[in-house]
Amino acid sequence: MKVRMVGWIVAPAAVMVAMGIWGPSGRVAGQSADIPQSRAWLLGPIPEGTGNVPSHSGCPGEPKLLRPCAQEKANQFDPPRTPDGKPNFQGMWARTNGTGTDSRSAFILEEHEGNRAEQVPAGKSLIVDPPDGLIPYQPWAKAKREEIMKTYIDQVSNCLPPGVPRHFLAPGIYQIVQSPGYVIFVLEHAGHTRIVPTDGRAHIGGKARLWQGDSVGHWEGNTLVVDTTNVNGQAFLSILPRDFTSANLHVVERYTLFDTDSIFFEATLEDPTVFTRPWTIAWGRTRMPGKNLELFEEACHEGNRSDTFSVPNLMFLGLDHSPKP
Amino acid sequence: MKKRLGGLLIVFSVPLLTLGFVAGQNSTARSAAYVPPRASDGHPDVSGFWQALNTAPSFDIEDHAARVGVPAGYGVVEGGALPYQESALEKKRANFNKRLTDDTVPKCFLPGVPRITYMPFPFQIIQTFPSKRGDPEFGLDRDLGIVISYEYLDAVRYIHTNGRPHPGHGDRWMGDSRAHWEGDTLVVDVTEFNEEPWFDASGNFHSDALHVIERYTRTGPDTLKYEATIEDPKVFTRPWKMTIPLYRRQEPQLRLLEYYCHAYREEDRLRSVK
Repeated sequence: MKVRMVGWIVAPAAVMVAMGIWGPSGRVAGQSADIPQSRAWLLGPIPEGTGNVPSHSGCPGEPKLLRPCAQEKANQFDPPRTPDGKPNFQGMWARTNGTGTDSRSAFILEEHEGNRAEQVPAGKSLIVDPPDGLIPYQPWAKAKREEIMKTYIDQVSNCLPPGVPRHFLAPGIYQIVQSPGYVIFVLEHAGHTRIVPTDGRAHIGGKARLWQGDSVGHWEGNTLVVDTTNVNGQAFLSILPRDFTSANLHVVERYTLFDTDSIFFEATLEDPTVFTRPWTIAWGRTRMPGKNLELFEEACHEGNRSDTFSVPNLMFLGLDHSPKP
Repeated sequence: MKKRLGGLLIVFSVPLLTLGFVAGQNSTARSAAYVPPRASDGHPDVSGFWQALNTAPSFDIEDHAARVGVPAGYGVVEGGALPYQESALEKKRANFNKRLTDDTVPKCFLPGVPRITYMPFPFQIIQTFPSKRGDPEFGLDRDLGIVISYEYLDAVRYIHTNGRPHPGHGDRWMGDSRAHWEGDTLVVDVTEFNEEPWFDASGNFHSDALHVIERYTRTGPDTLKYEATIEDPKVFTRPWKMTIPLYRRQEPQLRLLEYYCHAYREEDRLRSVK
């Protein structure tokens, strides 16, 4: 099998189809087959609470409803632990999101109608704060987002990392492993790996700007808290539209097991250059069923024959899209 | 003029000689006596940030003189010249002449194994907590065992220690890695390569029949001996071996940064267009 994926969009779905965990029946890893996939709401409107979470978790999938439900369960849940006494997140984790079974739905953060041309199903907002579910852009930034959409392609399409917090929203095979002092998030796509030290160290110097930012973690009770700064401001938060930040972005992520097979995730994003206030997104991941799952090499840039690099007006790299602080 | 060149050569080679000498002493003297600390899986702790100090093999794995941009250096091939088959030797010479266009590393492609080990970038070996019966993930995922994350290209290798065989799909830039322990040595069996990456920037090459057996052995608190046995019946007349001492990076609270080669190249190109 040639694992030379050209496109980000096709790759995870193809892998999942190949592995028999996603298919025309609408079954996605972690979802029991009793949740119907109704094509009727593909384009909207979307029923309240719609989402793809494991039925055994007993929580709705829509982030604003998932959040209180998962938090309440987490308060009463004593998670399995690794030998160092920390909650055990090890394993393969499928994404759950606010809309349902289609892997493309989480490409959009805000509530949205379906789009047949883009093959995107309708979806609920992943934003749990502010309550209106919209990204609190400053006016100039909201206008900028429209311009970006027409001008630049998504960095992930060029085999660059999704950045933070999008890494944990990425579709495809996703594994978390732990070792003393580290939590390691392994995304199969292009082998993009995040290694988070949990020793409470300080961030690196401000001049070092990174696609994935500098992430440092610590444990608050049973929750892994990851603080990220030093981003380069070039990684879009989503593909449709290209939600963006400046290099002043500060992200605080919180990962909590609320039962053996379910992670509740939320991330607060703060960027005074682009947003009017901090805002929070949330979703879940659920343990993938199946046995003996194993990551493959997915060489991305090596197999990229899409020639996007020859179309400079479609590239955002090296161009500034936010005012200097 | 002649004198100055001679001086340059000495500048380049003396430190390399010294390093080689010290490293050789360390590995032979200590490997017998040194008892490495244990990881949570009970095996020697090989985790941490490692890097090859001798980067000469990334230019040429054989002994070589200096040329523009390339310091002279000692190769890492044991027993002298590489045992190329006759036709392969011709291809190697052709590769050398076309090295600036045909090497895949300048295209920002994955450099393969073992080449990534002696690129001038650090890498982190992570020994994960082994899954045991009763753990929620037990039997669902295949115990990942060891992950090697390389700063270069954000490349990652999953070193499976679950006892399963190579899956047989082939065609991988970094091969498929299956490991076991022989005493205190981590032995990684790597196959299912494609034929794209070279061993170095001088055209030393392999086919898709490449089979690499890597051996990682702690020889001291801050040294890790790396040995790689190379088999490729389509290219070489016999197996051959390279040995490279790896050193622990000493900076406190080190973390891998990023080297997304193709992003920086594109950035440069766009700036020149603007």
